[in-house]
Amino acid sequence: MNLMEHMGIEPGRLQFSWISSAESTKFVDVVKTVTASVKALGPNTTYNKQAVKVA
Amino acid sequence: MSGYQDKIKEVALRLLKDGSVDMVIGFRKGTLPMMNEPCFIRRPEDVHQLVWDSNCGINLANYLTDRKEKIAVVAKGCDSRNIVTHIIENKIKRENLHIIGVPCQGMVDKRRIISEFGDTLLDVADDGENLKIKIHGSEKSLKKTDVLQSNCAACIHRNPVLFDELAGELVPEQAGVDRYAEVNRVEAMSPQEKWQYFEDLLSPCIRCYACRNACPLCYCPTCFVDESRPQWVGKSQDPIDIRTFHFLRAYHCAGRCTDCGACERACPVGIKVRQFTSKLNKDAFEMFGWEAGMTLDERPPLDTYKPNDPNDFIK
Amino acid sequence: MKVFTIDKKEWALGIEKAKSAYQVLGPVKEKEWHCFKALGKDEQPDMTYTNTRLSPKFLVQPQTEPMFTYTLDESRPDHHILKEVQEDVCPKAVIGIRPCDAAAFLLVKRNFDAPQYQDPYWLKAYNSMTFVGLACNDPCPTCFCTSAGCGPFHEAGLDVLLVDSGDRFLAKSLTDKGIALLAAAGWNSLADDAGKIEAMKQAAESRIASRISTDRLKAKETTHIYDAPFWEDTAFSCINCGTCTYSCPTCWCFDIQDENRGNTGVRLRNWDSCMFPLFTMHGTGHNPRGAKMQRVRQRFMHKLKYYVDKYDNGIQCVGCGRCIRLCPVNIDIRKVCNQMNDYDPAACVCPA
Ligand code: SF4
Ligand code: SF4
Ligand code: SF4
Ligand code: SF4
Repeated sequence: MNLMEHMGIEPGRLQFSWISSAESTKFVDVVKTVTASVKALGPNTTYNKQAVKVA
Repeated sequence: MSGYQDKIKEVALRLLKDGSVDMVIGFRKGTLPMMNEPCFIRRPEDVHQLVWDSNCGINLANYLTDRKEKIAVVAKGCDSRNIVTHIIENKIKRENLHIIGVPCQGMVDKRRIISEFGDTLLDVADDGENLKIKIHGSEKSLKKTDVLQSNCAACIHRNPVLFDELAGELVPEQAGVDRYAEVNRVEAMSPQEKWQYFEDLLSPCIRCYACRNACPLCYCPTCFVDESRPQWVGKSQDPIDIRTFHFLRAYHCAGRCTDCGACERACPVGIKVRQFTSKLNKDAFEMFGWEAGMTLDERPPLDTYKPNDPNDFIK
Repeated sequence: MKVFTIDKKEWALGIEKAKSAYQVLGPVKEKEWHCFKALGKDEQPDMTYTNTRLSPKFLVQPQTEPMFTYTLDESRPDHHILKEVQEDVCPKAVIGIRPCDAAAFLLVKRNFDAPQYQDPYWLKAYNSMTFVGLACNDPCPTCFCTSAGCGPFHEAGLDVLLVDSGDRFLAKSLTDKGIALLAAAGWNSLADDAGKIEAMKQAAESRIASRISTDRLKAKETTHIYDAPFWEDTAFSCINCGTCTYSCPTCWCFDIQDENRGNTGVRLRNWDSCMFPLFTMHGTGHNPRGAKMQRVRQRFMHKLKYYVDKYDNGIQCVGCGRCIRLCPVNIDIRKVCNQMNDYDPAACVCPA
């Protein structure tokens, strides 16, 4: 994750969580916070492969 | 320098004559200025080919992978650390090796000299302290310490960490060098600047994979970039695919890279590929107090678990 | 064939004029070395350069080249039909290419423009170009063109040869294409000292100290060289990167890939290299060139033996020296070529 951010991925776009199958509420919370933080960052415009340009 | 060379030859000759090794892996004089070629010597009468000077920047651990013979290998500080890593990763057996350790005073950055003097360079002689540069009709002398490879200028492990005998007296280790100056510079940038910095850094890459292949750590039978079922990454000149290759290559070296600089030295277009691995080296050092290849007695941090491993990145 | 003189003061103007009829490409310095680029308005080629780091073969055979597009969307009538990508075939003037690099296109052309098959992508690109060569007055120490069937003033493959003669260029027109370009640039004053070129040519050729011998390659038994004992030693240091082949103006191998995005895709052709294990990997998993030594041998056998035998027209190398300068471990084609040329199985005393 550090290297990803080092090469220019915005902090918050890549996140790691450890959720047991029993932790349903944690799962919901994590999905909410991740979605919110990624939405706040907006679409990923950098690390995103574009279709091949054809002359 | 020539002292090292004589000693290397002497040891090589002895080992080949008494049959304790099948081959000696070292360097022979190349056909261009500042180029020595890795070679193997099997017969005592070929020992005279061996050379040692400031142009032995290729990492010879790369030539040991999976070899079964009894081998004597010439090893600088960084090479010896990669040999340790090879032994830990079962890529070579300690008992098959006779390590001729070379206390190192840095390798010359040939790219810098070529960019200063052009492709018309005729000869570069090295007396250990100074380089005598010969171009058409004129000569110039440079202090070696001014033209070292950047990883060598900031190296704090010049002496081999594992060896059977030495080619010379141990050298004082450098103190007060900033190994992570470049990493720190990039770390201070904003995400956009960082992205742009690497975009620019990688723009000349031709995906020849010399950086990967020069590295002793990259020994996978099939590299992920070459896999086709499934295909992990596209094979064209697409900049995202190029970047994916680079950062994944670096990840695969995390906690294993010795900063030997072989990757950077090999790149035909002069890309500073250590910009990726140095960051991971810094992280490994700061998070796990780890430097690769310093000892045979400890497993690398990324293949062991310790209760105090930093884990606050997991939310 | 005529020789014109171009005052360097009029040079830039001529280049600008040529731009109205051609897309003009020339060497420009980027980062630390030169590369061929399309020149915009008022951009000039750097005619003081030595040579480009990588070869200009990419002008005709780009490292990544879209060949076809297709759609997988079955509601479209043209689904699963490959549609050829139209190349940009406007006339292009390549200014300042070195004679070896232009000659290299002719060697490659034997492959892409064979009697039986013609490669339309390669040919369209090649035919759209007018090559204005720049003779080498000061060859690099690693150039061995004169013994590789080429030379610092070599004309084959060029439409115009420029010779730098201090405050002016002498421009020798070699083809109709060349004449047309010189006319478009307005370079029309005839030189009265065209004879000078021959003397400069000889001076440049005499400066090339590096040589290879190729005279016995053809007569050699292929299997003898193939089985020669020196390959293990030659190949030892090789790391099987593709640097030598990617930088070489005469290496042409490619690989074809489809890249999809959703329902649409592009069929691409990318450079490939005989140095890569994947190059010969079969679908079964078997690899006929599974070991490094076999791949190194292939590169040299192809350039210096198979090509010689197949076309009977010299080696597949123009002596530009790039692979020698850029190989990270100093594998030197000059050395290998001489080894192959000199090899005599009868004289070989095997250590066993
Ligand atoms: S990544 Fe580069 S510096 Fe690190 S061990 Fe490999 S070759 Fe050496
Ligand atoms: S060696 Fe250089 S050009 Fe080749 S793949 Fe690595 S970074 Fe790219
Ligand atoms: S000969 Fe040199 S450049 Fe070519 S693949 Fe081998 S190491 Fe790379
Ligand atoms: S010298 Fe090397 S790079 Fe140049 S044409 Fe010959 S094989 Fe190719």
